[in-house]
Amino acid sequence: MTASSRNLPGVDVRHLPTTVFGARDTAWWGTVGFMAIEATTIVVCVASYFYLWRNSATWPPEHTLRPSLLWPTIAVIVMLVSNIPMVWLRRAAKRLDLAGVRRWLIVGTVLSAVFVVLRWQEFLALNTRWDTNAYGSIAWLSVGFHATLLIANLGETAVMTAMLHSSRRTERHYTDAVDGADYWHFMTGIWVPLYVIIYLGPYFL
Amino acid sequence: MTSAAISPTEAVREEDVRAAGELERTWGDPPGLMGWLRSTDHKSIGKRYIITAFVFFILGGIEAALIRLQLSRPENSLLGPDIYNQIFTMHGTTMMFLFAVPMMTAMGLYFVPTMVGARDVAFPRLNAFGYWVYLIGGLLLYTGFFLNIGPDTGWFTYVPLSGPEYSAGKRVDIWAQTVTFTEIAALVASVEIIATVFKHRAPGMTINRIPIFVWSQLVMAFMIMFSMPWVASASMFLAADRLIGTHLFNPAEGGDALLWQHLFWFFGHPEVYIIFIPALGMASQVVVTFSRREMFGYPAAVLANIAQGFLSFGLWVHHMFATTVPQLASSFFTATSAMIAITTGVQFFCWIATIWLGKPRLRVPFLFVLAFVVVFMIGGLSGVMIASVPFDTQVHDTFFIVAHLHYVLMASVFALFAGFYYWFPKVTGRLLGERLGRWHLALFFIGVNVAFFPQHFLGLDGMPRRVYTYLAETGWGDLNLLSSAGAVTTALSAALFLVNVWRSLRTGAKAGDDPWQADTLEWATSSPPTSYTFVHLPVVESRSPMWDHSVDRPVVTGMRTDLREALVTTLNDAIPDSRHYQPRPTIKPLVAALATGGTFIALIFTPWGLALGSIVITVCLIAWAWPDRQAHAELRRFEEGIA
Repeated sequence: MTASSRNLPGVDVRHLPTTVFGARDTAWWGTVGFMAIEATTIVVCVASYFYLWRNSATWPPEHTLRPSLLWPTIAVIVMLVSNIPMVWLRRAAKRLDLAGVRRWLIVGTVLSAVFVVLRWQEFLALNTRWDTNAYGSIAWLSVGFHATLLIANLGETAVMTAMLHSSRRTERHYTDAVDGADYWHFMTGIWVPLYVIIYLGPYFL
Repeated sequence: MTSAAISPTEAVREEDVRAAGELERTWGDPPGLMGWLRSTDHKSIGKRYIITAFVFFILGGIEAALIRLQLSRPENSLLGPDIYNQIFTMHGTTMMFLFAVPMMTAMGLYFVPTMVGARDVAFPRLNAFGYWVYLIGGLLLYTGFFLNIGPDTGWFTYVPLSGPEYSAGKRVDIWAQTVTFTEIAALVASVEIIATVFKHRAPGMTINRIPIFVWSQLVMAFMIMFSMPWVASASMFLAADRLIGTHLFNPAEGGDALLWQHLFWFFGHPEVYIIFIPALGMASQVVVTFSRREMFGYPAAVLANIAQGFLSFGLWVHHMFATTVPQLASSFFTATSAMIAITTGVQFFCWIATIWLGKPRLRVPFLFVLAFVVVFMIGGLSGVMIASVPFDTQVHDTFFIVAHLHYVLMASVFALFAGFYYWFPKVTGRLLGERLGRWHLALFFIGVNVAFFPQHFLGLDGMPRRVYTYLAETGWGDLNLLSSAGAVTTALSAALFLVNVWRSLRTGAKAGDDPWQADTLEWATSSPPTSYTFVHLPVVESRSPMWDHSVDRPVVTGMRTDLREALVTTLNDAIPDSRHYQPRPTIKPLVAALATGGTFIALIFTPWGLALGSIVITVCLIAWAWPDRQAHAELRRFEEGIA
């Protein structure tokens, strides 16, 4: 079924692999592209936050409570620790170890759901509303934008888990699992500066 | 021995003919209307994109003509103030968001894969999704306009005018969502172009052999990636201020109107270069082909292109010299604004040297490039003038600025037309008429200069932009009439172009594979290219693969013909590294685009649109990710190497 190669100048590619991981694979570059776009959006939020900060004599503005720290701190720790099973997921995927990939994807799905629940607490911990003042607006929109990443990640991880349990799975899905783990590192990593700025910031700025 | 075919027109060996037949069955679009809607072929999508963007160009042009008719004499009553506001807003929004950027990405989506020797973009379904989202955005804007709720606050929609207090109703929201749609489409295109150029280049096309147009597309894609999220976020912030009562731009509650200007122009200035850099790339390609010599100073030209991409992010405050930015900042931005003249200069000198050392053929595409250089030089020189703060403060918001920005942007349109004349034979198989082309160029060049040059003087004389009329005593009537006459001439030239297209589609000279004896890979295949583009993927040994061999060109062998297989090569050296499966055509991108469209349109009216839309979009994306039985079977055959 392949075009003939007899005596032709050039290169023969029929023996190249069909399953490769990370930067060798095309889809990984797509994932990285979307990470770059999302990271830029978070930079916009942070830039706007600091721009608006200059407009108030105190930060947060008068009569506005500072954020509570308990739940957001728990959440950021959970997020950081959650990277460990994702490292194991990546290793299992690269070995094409079906049982391992299934196990860590289920853990990942549960963790993604926990993130979403914790995010609800994080919104409440802002101790202000989005329509109170500009401080409240930018804090809500920044945390809210990151929340869309969490929700998308929940959907994606759940679907991937289902896929690895279904008869429609192929080797391709192991490559996708590695990309998913990389995305996880990005999503949790980029939350750290946001946590520091939005929850700790009002205590220092 | 007969050599292996790259172009289907060369397929004479029995096995090549057989392979071509099977490739057509594998890569061809399905038949009928449903097939059209399901297509993921980058050439079909690219052609749709180009035609749609051109239709918006004509609509934007009609709006321009209406503006010029209204201003052709003092105290004209053709258009009232409200409709005038809508029309200039529609003109700017259409030209920037629905014509210029989509047209430039569309040229990339059509030609980049072919020029790097690939059969499709990296993510064909995503590509189709991007087009449909763009189309929905354009239809939304024009539906609003025809329902008399077109946006009316200018293409950069400054707050507080566009805020909830001064712009009640839904006009601004329609603008904000249109922008969101087109930004999504542009971002999708940027990911496509980057992944395609990085991973799908023909074997041997090392990073220093990438065609200059492809380089310019790559720079553009990175610029889109890092600039479009700014305006997408800004328009979301604006929508939030208007819909759910946030205070980001409301000074009474700690918000800031200037924040909008910073966010908008941090996108808005790179935007100009997102349009201009691919224009430079097209011009370079035409200069090389028609000078019949390799680009002089290729590394310098490429580096200038990249430097320009970086510098363009350091210019945005020069749109805000008339606001309260600190003086030191103004000085900094004056310096960076002047600096960008250096990179443009490097490009121009590379062209001059290439033309000087080559044997130029004065065909229409080449003549358009010459006109592009002249028009851009005028726009660039007035740009250096307004980079200076005192001068800018004087002419800010006058017709001087209108003249400057149109010179710069119209320059890119000259380069775009050069690209049209150059690549039309590749896309359609027929050459555009040379004589009509020369008339088109002459009228266009005269029209643009007559329309915009007098506006410099109107601006210096104090005529503000965005006024729907002016008094006779101002003495601006004559120059305005002259400018309007130029606009009419420009419109005539565009009509000539359409006549040329129509005539050559019917009776134009057959192009053959390579009518210009060009150097890059898109000319290695038939005109128009078949669905699979190349019978054998080409192998590249220099910067000018088409000038290396006329027979026995090296090819890739061992690619599957029974399913859609792409060759993945390494980032720097383009060494074949793996094989990648690409899915068959599907309706999923269209459905996902409709769900996205529905969500954003619902968001104009209620924040609950987000909740509802998220559910619908999630369902669509699950369907997207889940392979159907046939796709699954094919993927298995691919991975297991079974026929």
